[in-house]
Amino acid sequence: MRSLISIADLTNDEIEEIFTLADDVAKLRAAKVGAGQIMATLFYEPSTRTRLSFESAMQRLGGSVISCSDMKASSTAKGETVADTAKVVSSYADVLVVRHNWDGAVQAMAEHADVPVINAGDGGHEHPTQTLCDLYTLRQEKGGLKGLTVVVCGDLKNGRTIHSLVYALARFGANVVTLAAGGMELPQYVIERLEREYDYSFAPVASGDLNSVVTETDALYLTPKQPHQLALYTQVDKVIQSQLSSLATGLRYDAFYMTRKQKERMKDGGANASYPTIGPEFLQEKRFQNTVVMHPLPRVDELSPELDKDRRGIYFKQAAYGVPVRMALLEFLSRANRTQRHGAKQASRAYRSPEPIGPKCRNANCITIQEPRSTERRFRIYFADHIGALILGCDYCDHRFKVDYVGNRAAKRYSSFDIAQSATIRDWWGRGELALFDSIKEAEELGYEPTKTSGQRVLMGEEEIDSALAAMSEQILNDCRDPDRLLILGVRSVGSQLAQRIAAAIEARRKRRPELGEIEIYGSGDELRRSSAADPDLGPLSLKDREVVLVDDVIYTGRTVKSALSIIFRSGRPRSVRLAVLVDRGHREVPVKPNYVGKNIPSSEKDRVRVRLRGEERQESDRVVIYSIVNPAVNTNTVAASREKSASQ
Amino acid sequence: MAEEKKTLLERDDIGRMVSRMAHEIVEKASAPGELALIGIRSRGVHLARRLARKIEEIAKTAPAVGVIDVTPYRDDKLQEQSLPAVGAFEVQVAVDDRTVVLVDDVIFRGRTIRAAMEAVERLGQPKRILVAALIDRGDRELPIRADIVGKNIEVLDGQRVNVLLDEADGVDQVVLTNWQEKNRSI
Repeated sequence: MRSLISIADLTNDEIEEIFTLADDVAKLRAAKVGAGQIMATLFYEPSTRTRLSFESAMQRLGGSVISCSDMKASSTAKGETVADTAKVVSSYADVLVVRHNWDGAVQAMAEHADVPVINAGDGGHEHPTQTLCDLYTLRQEKGGLKGLTVVVCGDLKNGRTIHSLVYALARFGANVVTLAAGGMELPQYVIERLEREYDYSFAPVASGDLNSVVTETDALYLTPKQPHQLALYTQVDKVIQSQLSSLATGLRYDAFYMTRKQKERMKDGGANASYPTIGPEFLQEKRFQNTVVMHPLPRVDELSPELDKDRRGIYFKQAAYGVPVRMALLEFLSRANRTQRHGAKQASRAYRSPEPIGPKCRNANCITIQEPRSTERRFRIYFADHIGALILGCDYCDHRFKVDYVGNRAAKRYSSFDIAQSATIRDWWGRGELALFDSIKEAEELGYEPTKTSGQRVLMGEEEIDSALAAMSEQILNDCRDPDRLLILGVRSVGSQLAQRIAAAIEARRKRRPELGEIEIYGSGDELRRSSAADPDLGPLSLKDREVVLVDDVIYTGRTVKSALSIIFRSGRPRSVRLAVLVDRGHREVPVKPNYVGKNIPSSEKDRVRVRLRGEERQESDRVVIYSIVNPAVNTNTVAASREKSASQ
Repeated sequence: MAEEKKTLLERDDIGRMVSRMAHEIVEKASAPGELALIGIRSRGVHLARRLARKIEEIAKTAPAVGVIDVTPYRDDKLQEQSLPAVGAFEVQVAVDDRTVVLVDDVIFRGRTIRAAMEAVERLGQPKRILVAALIDRGDRELPIRADIVGKNIEVLDGQRVNVLLDEADGVDQVVLTNWQEKNRSI
């Protein structure tokens, strides 16, 4: 059965097909194609446009609508799960339109419903029908989508419409310029998907190019000093290159897509953040005479009221297209289900834990966390060898996170993940033996034992670690041109703990604490943040002209550092980046080189080198240990095993 | 404009350096067939082609040569040292599971290499990325290293190293130029 949960469920051709239907809705209306159909609208969050336009669309098609005026007052209040609600309501209606405050909730409902389900917005995840309306509006106004340059402004982190929209624009070959409010940048998982699946590249846009027209209430982040403009191009080709060098004259911007601050999805209501607005200056600039301004509405004060009267303010038109587009969508889905047409999603094999305890999505607002009963723990698995990690992507909310512990179900052994195990783990997965855990406790609760190792050898003890960190801190301070610009950035998680110690050592010498932040190489949260939230008024970290010292525990292939550099350069323009590591174990695969090294430790590829710090899971003292896996698991024809063999010859 | 020029290296020196670098590249690659050289515009491209020819002589297989253009992006303030760079491929090569060698004439702050590395990542997943530079003038602003270096040259503030190559300049030479700070604006 075809539902519409994500914009990715539709192919480009199908989207065009929906638009063609929308061009001629009068025909659908006259033919009463929806006669006899009942649509149920289940809105767990407030909505005016989406709900009314859906209801209007169904009635104009000749069908009828049932709905619950307030889901909070429904049986949900009595504790009914979304799964049960979906199951029950699907016997009353032919199609369900659902909005929910949890990410992935609509997907869960679609899995339990016996009729097609349309996502009318799920938490901070996606809002595909809004995207269809947006694309349709752009197509109507600009004649097509390919090659357009669209500036997306405002809250790009929490705005679900933005996520769906940028994927879709990418698929149709449009360029995207992001203009995020400070701390509300596009999330990493969205960026990764754009880079990997749609071959997008980043290019910086002249800082301040848009600032003359997009002003901020208190102009904090969008000043030329702190650029938050980032352009995503389908390809940085010759043409783009030449545009980049002549940005003083500005790119051709076809559309501005403004969004509202998603206060309801922010812990503090976003009270401290300033926000970009489109002011009256926009209307006067000649180069924007053909730039349209869109907004998914409701707006708060992002748009100057003068814009309403201008032909370029097309947001009311955009809202009006909601009905024909949704009529077309309802008809498209009903046809697709009659003819059993398959969608765009490729069924890739999902990872399901073979054990009752397994990894959990890290997104607290995900349906799998909020209401696990309605879901199964199902993930997409990514062997991200390029960053030395094993990644799981939640099948409901799309958030991705690194796996910490891996186990083999047959052998009942577990260990922390190491990139050297990659081939072995693929093998286990192939045989359905791969168990993944979020913590040691989980593994041991299931009776797993630690993987046998050669016995640990302590390479550095507490004193040696202390003196290495002290020496590194001193060197860092000596090499620093302007200590006030110093920013100590720890790589999560052990690196951030070391960064804290280095910062404390520097503070002891300077009587002033250097700014401290942390960087998350792979996660679905903020990739760059202050390491203590003690002073939320400070706002997001600034990298502009900073002397950044990146701190990590062990350097091996160097790929982690390379990823950290990408994140840093995407977020700002530091004056310099230096690298401090406690241990360099060699085997570099990319040309990175630490500036400060606590100790060089020659190691073989099958060794593991771990920095264990006090306070970590079951650690009572600081140590650097080396060990190797003796036998990763029974019956395993692994790379590690063959390496061992060749090593013993 | 008071410029003082000093020739540091001549044709023969450059020839020997390129030859030695080619040998080092072959040694570092597990098989010459899995090599991909990527020349950074513009002199890095000529060097990459020279290295490829030498490698072909040594290993009897010619490595693929790609071309990348890394344009340091300049904003209105021309704060050259703090600018990121964008890399775009002009000639693409297969990089998956290969040893990729980024070739440039001079390695200095490391920003060009970082941008090139990022562009390579968009092409695929190489087994390894190495950096080969004819001249390493030190003073890195990023933790980037050159794996294969023709010559390390210490350069003072206000001096510039220029690599001149036959293909572009009609001469093979490495020149050290003294230049005044006020001439820095471009």
